Amino acid sequence: MSAATHDLVATGSTGWRRIDVLARNGQIVVLVLLAALGGLFEPGFFSRLNLSAIGYQYSVIGLIALGQFAVILTRGIDLSQGSLIAISSMVSALTVPSLGLPGSIAATLAASTALGLVNGAVVAWTAVPAFVATLGMMGIARGIALTLTNGNPVPMTDAGFHHIAWGRVYDLPVPFLLFVVAGIVIALFLSRWPLGRHLYAVGGHEENARLSGISVSRVKLSAYALSGLLSGIAGLIVTSRMSTGHPLSGMNYELESIAAVIVGGASLFGGTGRVSAVIAGVLILGVANSVINLSGLSPYLQGALKGSIILVAVALSQIGLRSGRGRG
Amino acid sequence: MSNESTAGPSGTESPQPHALIRGLTNDQRDLVSVSAILLVVVVVAALASGGTFLQPGNLVNVLQQNVVLFVLAIAQFIVVLTSGIDLSVGAVVALSSVLFVGYLDFGVLPALLIAVAGGALVGLVNGLMVVLIRLPSFVATLGAMQIVYSIAKLFTGGAALHASLGGAPIPDAVTGFYDRSVLALPYPTLVFVAVFIAALVYLRSSVGYFLYAIGSNDRAARFAGLPAGKLRVGAYVVASAITAIGGVLFAARVSYGDPQAGLWLPLDTIAAVSIGGASLTGGRGTILATVLGVLIIAILNNTMNLIGISPTLQPAIKGLIIILTVFLYSRRGS
Repeated sequence: MSAATHDLVATGSTGWRRIDVLARNGQIVVLVLLAALGGLFEPGFFSRLNLSAIGYQYSVIGLIALGQFAVILTRGIDLSQGSLIAISSMVSALTVPSLGLPGSIAATLAASTALGLVNGAVVAWTAVPAFVATLGMMGIARGIALTLTNGNPVPMTDAGFHHIAWGRVYDLPVPFLLFVVAGIVIALFLSRWPLGRHLYAVGGHEENARLSGISVSRVKLSAYALSGLLSGIAGLIVTSRMSTGHPLSGMNYELESIAAVIVGGASLFGGTGRVSAVIAGVLILGVANSVINLSGLSPYLQGALKGSIILVAVALSQIGLRSGRGRG
Repeated sequence: MSNESTAGPSGTESPQPHALIRGLTNDQRDLVSVSAILLVVVVVAALASGGTFLQPGNLVNVLQQNVVLFVLAIAQFIVVLTSGIDLSVGAVVALSSVLFVGYLDFGVLPALLIAVAGGALVGLVNGLMVVLIRLPSFVATLGAMQIVYSIAKLFTGGAALHASLGGAPIPDAVTGFYDRSVLALPYPTLVFVAVFIAALVYLRSSVGYFLYAIGSNDRAARFAGLPAGKLRVGAYVVASAITAIGGVLFAARVSYGDPQAGLWLPLDTIAAVSIGGASLTGGRGTILATVLGVLIIAILNNTMNLIGISPTLQPAIKGLIIILTVFLYSRRGS
């Protein structure tokens, strides 16, 4: 596995490289084809209502996919994202009466980032594998979220909170804007900021990164903290959308975020991937999901189909990545 | 297998073992540590519950209530041994419970076979995803979990299944299964003993030793000429078939098929396996220590119920147990 970053933004473009761009942006090609097919076969696909629905649901997935991407870059995995969404949902609804809107948002993001840091600390400072540490956190955070109110949902009392999921700026839904802003910030972070570039280095070859003077534990801590923070933002959106803090929200969302990252061409073995492709991966899942929803199949069959699509997509990406690496 | 001599720990990282356990194999040492933890947990449980825990009725209750978990932990252990992890155990329990109840029209034994075949099929798919596509097992089985839950719901239309597909009520042979016993041994316990012996035979066969080999060093095992891929797929199939037996036991216990059963079973079984000293990176652990691990989890659950700790907190405690035990065991010498 080479530690080279495949970041077009960072490497700039020379003349012949442009020809290569289409091949290297297979995700975007797939996305456009999928959307065209959707529009062709499902008349409701390009309706405002449907696009808003995709925009909402996959902004949530997209936010945590960006966090998952940072973690996967370091050769880790975060299985606790869904549970962190649940705990964020509960914290925001429970604290809003006493702390007010800004205070509650701050408390929520602080809580989810802190739990992300705990993940990072366990992974960075102990020999516990990432999937074990975050599987444990999956149980811990979900258990705490359930215990806070004995498993009962909590109504969101603040009217202003409503705008996080339902508000629009220049007619664009706020969740979508949050996703786009987070995507741009993280793309810049990964390409321009030393710490961001170190994520690639650590995932590419941890020992080399350490020998070149990179603080590997600091890099890992920041990746998991970022994943926690983004899960917190996702939790705020979910809570606002339902006007309820729910301890069972976010269940299994981590599977979709992992899938989006892998469909976006990143390797589960770390060190490679681009934000733009991950965003395309999120949208591919969103469009596929929407087409299935519009198809009118039994919801349970839809669930099985979605799961299969995710696994097939992940499988194809893994195979493609391996053969691609063989050529390169 | 980890039977290397412990006469002189040459690695600088492994601490000098205590005199009591010097000269024991790794497996024996793990068994000693798990038994010690078990003893502590029993004492704590007895004290915390004011003696209620030790009453014979409660002890029988602990065993009866956890037969499913005992069976499933054995399945999880087999996958963990190959350096995998199976997050689809809960979903397979759900699927096999509804398949079993749904097909009771054909008779109890055919329904059981269908349920086990369904489980084995899930294991086959899991194994192929891990071996052929080289997906990490937690991704493959997380995906399988979602799909299998959906299939189980599709099968019943979403609700629990209180009668077979043909509308026949669940026969007494099934609903009364937990109440019957031979020589004071309840039927479910006998099922567990049968599964335990079968798994023991499997792991003590040459195939079992090969599983230890591919779990501890896949490359070396391949270079030694072992058919690592086939063995690994086989392990997933065996594990999911055992899980399906657990699902049928579950259906017998609650007297219905539940397409949403087993939400916390991945966490429970992984906690049991890891507290039992199996290495989650594969190649280490024994089935006996795993069973003691289940006992520890079962006693903790029971004690938390007895002293009135909210059941909603239990996933958190199991999550903590998983991280702590993996952390502590990661510091042991190999």
